[in-house]
Amino acid sequence: MIGRRRKQVMNAVQLSLILIAILIMLVPIAWIFMAAFKNHIDVFQLKLFFTPTLKNFGTVFEPPFYLGHKLMNSTIVAFVTVVLAIPIATMAAYSFSRFRLTGETTMLVVILATQFVPAVVIILPFFVMFRDIGLLDTRIGLILVNLAIVMPFAIWMIKGFIDGIPLDTEEAAMVDGSSRLQVIRNIVLPMAAPGLLTAGIFCFIIAWNEFLFALILTNKDAVTLPIGLALFKAEEGDLWNLLSAAGIIIMLPMFVLALIIRKYFVQGMTMGAVR
Amino acid sequence: MRDNTLKYLLVLPAIVVVFATAIWPLIESLRLSFTVGRLSRPGSLEQYLGFENYIWAFLYEPAFWNSVWVTTVYTVLTVGLTTVLALGLALLLAPGGRFRSGVQTLLILPFAMSPALIGVSFRFMFNPEFGLFDAVFGVLIPPLADVSWLVDPVLAFAVCVMADVWGWIPFLTLVLIGGLASVPQDTIEAAQVDGASGWRVFRDVTLPQLAPVLAVVVILKSIFSLKTFDQIFMLTNGGPGTATQTLSHYIYFNGMKYGQIGYAASVAWLMVIPMIFLTYAYAKFVFRKE
Repeated sequence: MIGRRRKQVMNAVQLSLILIAILIMLVPIAWIFMAAFKNHIDVFQLKLFFTPTLKNFGTVFEPPFYLGHKLMNSTIVAFVTVVLAIPIATMAAYSFSRFRLTGETTMLVVILATQFVPAVVIILPFFVMFRDIGLLDTRIGLILVNLAIVMPFAIWMIKGFIDGIPLDTEEAAMVDGSSRLQVIRNIVLPMAAPGLLTAGIFCFIIAWNEFLFALILTNKDAVTLPIGLALFKAEEGDLWNLLSAAGIIIMLPMFVLALIIRKYFVQGMTMGAVR
Repeated sequence: MRDNTLKYLLVLPAIVVVFATAIWPLIESLRLSFTVGRLSRPGSLEQYLGFENYIWAFLYEPAFWNSVWVTTVYTVLTVGLTTVLALGLALLLAPGGRFRSGVQTLLILPFAMSPALIGVSFRFMFNPEFGLFDAVFGVLIPPLADVSWLVDPVLAFAVCVMADVWGWIPFLTLVLIGGLASVPQDTIEAAQVDGASGWRVFRDVTLPQLAPVLAVVVILKSIFSLKTFDQIFMLTNGGPGTATQTLSHYIYFNGMKYGQIGYAASVAWLMVIPMIFLTYAYAKFVFRKE
């Protein structure tokens, strides 16, 4: 009896701890969501109840903020980065997965290591080079450097997916006279498609949230959403209701994407060190 | 085409991209670190100084040592707190069931938030006039009721640490839940049958088996903590003064605001050195599985 009572108490304690954890996790997000629907005046009070308005979501797209332009830049940069990275990464991942290459381990370690190089180290030479060849404040420049952070993730993640595809169908097709490239096109790519999509979404999120490169390389034409957040500072302080509306526009699409690929988030971020 | 040629052709584009976007800038940074390297002076990017930038950082720049100190304390605190709290949460959520799995799904949300946005939201939460956390802390700990968090050096630093821990707990929790799932259940049951207490089972059975995953978590988090820039930039911009200026922020400021690319590159390379060790340690865990 005492054991059972103790178990119930333990269970209640555990549940309340979990609830506190969720509360701490979600409150800042919920707070931003609420502020985004508040009038300027309501933000300055700790109010839970207020008359919601959609006005902020209109204001951020108007002058002088022009968030639509930043939204466009972010979308194009992230999308093109992914479209370039995934095919290149898939080819490499297939080769790493199916063949023994000279220097294979070295190559894989170097690819892994580039992920850990501080972005601030990479960006200094790029800034100098882009200044000289006129790529500063262009989407092309941003896409090129974004490849640096996305490639290692993409290669390691896709390699993990291809490793999981059984060899037999490929071998059977080879015996039937298909060439290696036919095998890749007709068998491997269809089977790896969900994995490629997952890796693509994962890289899209990373490119979308990228901050330091965009901060240094852009100032007007190619400014992306995260950098656009800095616009909402007025002389009287931050415009929190607008900042929150912009914040929602940045994070909501990423929430949806993250939920779609949630099973693979851990594997992707740890490069397969934890499966 | 022969497989022997094909296999190298397939990796070639990736190697070219990695070389051009990561290896070349690393080497070029190293070269720049030995030059005068001022953005405003043409030709100074080829004007060699030897080790002078490094010597300057070590001997004449208190701000450099300040950022080393800030980064070190920041890394130790964020890695320690995030790991311990994430482990606790992982243990709470590991048993599964519908409620706990639902919570696990929710955990992915903070991680999809960009670090810059986390910085912004914490600046919001700690606003002295209408910040929610500011108000909550004021009620829970009365001496903190009237402080301006982001104006006080120590408290501003604390807010940066909190923002970081908040942003990383969910992800590390998910990793550790994965790790806990791979601890064989029968060893735990055997220990329980032998009458070991919950704490003993955790310390003597679960923890040792979880050690490799914990090591991965600590190394990975250390790497990301050392690199921290985005949140700090949006939250305090290194201030007040230089109280929250991390190494990345110091490099950014010297390189971009003052135009001292050569000097910034030398500090950046000093930062690469601990990364090499951490990457080496990390790679060992990645390849252990194969």
